[in-house]
Amino acid sequence: MEAASLHPSFGVKVQRVTPAWVRHRLERLGLVATVTSPVVLAFALLSLASFTAMMVWPIPSREGKTMWLGAPPHFRMYEPMVAEWNKTHESRFRLVLLSQPALERRMLSAFTSGTPAADILEVERRPAARAFMGPLEGVGFVDLTDRLRVEGLLDELNGPSFTPWTSRGRTFGLPHDVHSVMLGYRADIVEAAGIDVSQIETWEDYFRIMKPLLQGPGSTQERYLLNLWETHGDHIELLLLQAGGGFFDPQDRPIIASEVNAHVLAKIISWCVGPDRVCGDAPNFMASGNRLKVEGYVLASFMPDWMCGIYRGEMPQLGGKLKLMPLPAWERGGRRTSVWGGSMIGISKSGVRTPEDFEKSWAFAKELYLSPSLARTLYEVGDIVTPVKSHWGDPIFDRPDAYFSGQPKGRMYLDLAPQVPARSSSPYNTMAWLRVADAATALASWARDNQKFDYVDILPEAKRVLAQAHGQVQAQIDRNVFLSDAAKSGGVP
Amino acid sequence: MRAASIADVPGAQPRLAPWLFLSPFLLVFLVFTAYPLVQAMVLSLQQTFGPQHTRFVGLRNFQFLFSDPLFWTALRNTVVYSLGSLLIQLPLSLGLAMLLETPGLRGGRLYRVILFSPSLVGVSFAAMIFAVIFEKRTGLLNVALHRTIGWNLDFAWLERHVMPALIVASLWMWVGFNMTYFSAALKNVRRDLLEAAEIDGAGPWRRFLHVTIPEISPVAGFVVLLSMIGSFQLFELPYLLLNSTAGPGNRGMTIVLYLYQTGFENSDLGYASAIGWVLGLLLIVMTVFQRVLVRRSEAA
Repeated sequence: MEAASLHPSFGVKVQRVTPAWVRHRLERLGLVATVTSPVVLAFALLSLASFTAMMVWPIPSREGKTMWLGAPPHFRMYEPMVAEWNKTHESRFRLVLLSQPALERRMLSAFTSGTPAADILEVERRPAARAFMGPLEGVGFVDLTDRLRVEGLLDELNGPSFTPWTSRGRTFGLPHDVHSVMLGYRADIVEAAGIDVSQIETWEDYFRIMKPLLQGPGSTQERYLLNLWETHGDHIELLLLQAGGGFFDPQDRPIIASEVNAHVLAKIISWCVGPDRVCGDAPNFMASGNRLKVEGYVLASFMPDWMCGIYRGEMPQLGGKLKLMPLPAWERGGRRTSVWGGSMIGISKSGVRTPEDFEKSWAFAKELYLSPSLARTLYEVGDIVTPVKSHWGDPIFDRPDAYFSGQPKGRMYLDLAPQVPARSSSPYNTMAWLRVADAATALASWARDNQKFDYVDILPEAKRVLAQAHGQVQAQIDRNVFLSDAAKSGGVP
Repeated sequence: MRAASIADVPGAQPRLAPWLFLSPFLLVFLVFTAYPLVQAMVLSLQQTFGPQHTRFVGLRNFQFLFSDPLFWTALRNTVVYSLGSLLIQLPLSLGLAMLLETPGLRGGRLYRVILFSPSLVGVSFAAMIFAVIFEKRTGLLNVALHRTIGWNLDFAWLERHVMPALIVASLWMWVGFNMTYFSAALKNVRRDLLEAAEIDGAGPWRRFLHVTIPEISPVAGFVVLLSMIGSFQLFELPYLLLNSTAGPGNRGMTIVLYLYQTGFENSDLGYASAIGWVLGLLLIVMTVFQRVLVRRSEAA
């Protein structure tokens, strides 16, 4: 063909693509009819137009830095503060609200695969722990330990609040909260029965003193003394932590099969099974559970500070009927609280290209988490007490709360803050939680099948199921070649 | 007159044309099926923390899998669910199809629509409905049974009887769907054979056993295979019904749910790939076994 010629530089045959040449090639393939069909042409034109539009359409450039968060109430709280910050500071920030699963996926994807991440992230305890799965240098958050120490923040904030964000001795986030736990009880029923809760110090006292209010199966209106069930993994965890047990020790070694855990689990199951059970199941965050709570099916429930807002929003009928009291201890003089939930703010490594980047993000994070105005808003809007000790004197925490029968609940939660148990940041937390929940279910089934409802009878089986759970978690940890490396370098065992 | 073909075009290269037509599929297949399959095999031999941190661990993921009690729990639950689906759902579907194919039945189309409609509902929606139905104390099922026969309100469907609950939910969704396959197959059963059997003195049961069943066996085999594959891939229903968990004591844990938890909740993609490959091999073995059975019955 004429269109073919030799390229002058390389001496190779170069084919010029002309309409005649294309037609000739298509004819040789027998595709002329296909290519010239109006439908195919329409699709081709559409593709070309959309491709061109994508290429030409300007992508709006985003100014400043981005913060991802997954809690809508936090988003609402932060919005005005961020607007104020952007007015008064050179560095600008933008909040992006994601669903919790999306936030977790995007965070892990960014940290492990280098996909784009926000400059600052607010994450909850379990997703955050997953970022600590690999080697220490692979953690996608900036290590804040030295800065926290230099600025005295390790002392200024409630100590236990740092533990979920501290892995292998390094801290990767500023804590958002304390989340001490109390017991929310039906004061209308308890006080009508003439019961004085100040007489209660231990769980044993609690069930003994409240026993007259128990109305078991067959009663017209069943009523149980505590909202606790074998399937309530979060409640079981907080009770284990309260007793000094839990899933991991400070070096992130599993302690699932410890004596104290077996003792607590056996107690819990003895409360939940059998004809004389004292606990009932009114699940949280569900309409059915709320209905049971309103009906008085359970006399008391575990209440971390953030749960107060949920009760107020979902069960306004209980306003003025509830009161809070410290958790009964496991032994006299023991801990009267526990911990449930929590968030942190961290700075992503990918968002720090220069030292100035870090300083800007750090200043913003501190403003957002440590400012007195946030402490007030956090409490007013979300019922959450701040971990910043210097703000604990704010009179807002002494204000009586009508929903809780006029109690100064902020002060009550703050009084318990120093007692909050430390928690592990192990990436195996979720797995341990699941295996302990399995152990609880298996133990309850065993008790029902064998008609053993007494703590003493249940204890040996509790030790066995917890040893099994411990073994499963340990086996998964032993498989992790990255953690083994850390152990070799003196990190995690 | 002979139809024109590519070969008639002077100088055409007909061997290239099929490849050109196949190329879109091949491209998609290579990118979205073949490459991920190969990559999953590579991953199953590794431990990873994102693509930047990978270690070759040989067959250790597979070794661990066979000693992992959770995997065996998941496999047992999946088999129980599959057998439950197979042994309850398919006979029920066939029975309903036969009822609806009864000559002279009034409103057959309406019943067919009613029975088929649950399969048009999304799994997530069905899961939400059944989560409310199976709730203890306040759930529709327990309350209705309590009022009629004094049933225990605390009967914990979604705690201690997860598999029966899952089978019931899937029955509601898929019985009508499978029924349509059987209806179509029943329509094609040869009337002359049925009449001949009747004239020879065969009763309804013998006609069903010796005429209807052999006639619909190719379709039945196909439905069995689809149901088994679908059952082994069970994920959304337990995941949503049990609030993103495997249920108390892992009673709702299925193989795919375990794969998901391992890969996306524990970030252990290597181990998840090993689970995926074992599941794939199980499905291949089942399919081959089913094909052999069908061929044998056809040959007989």
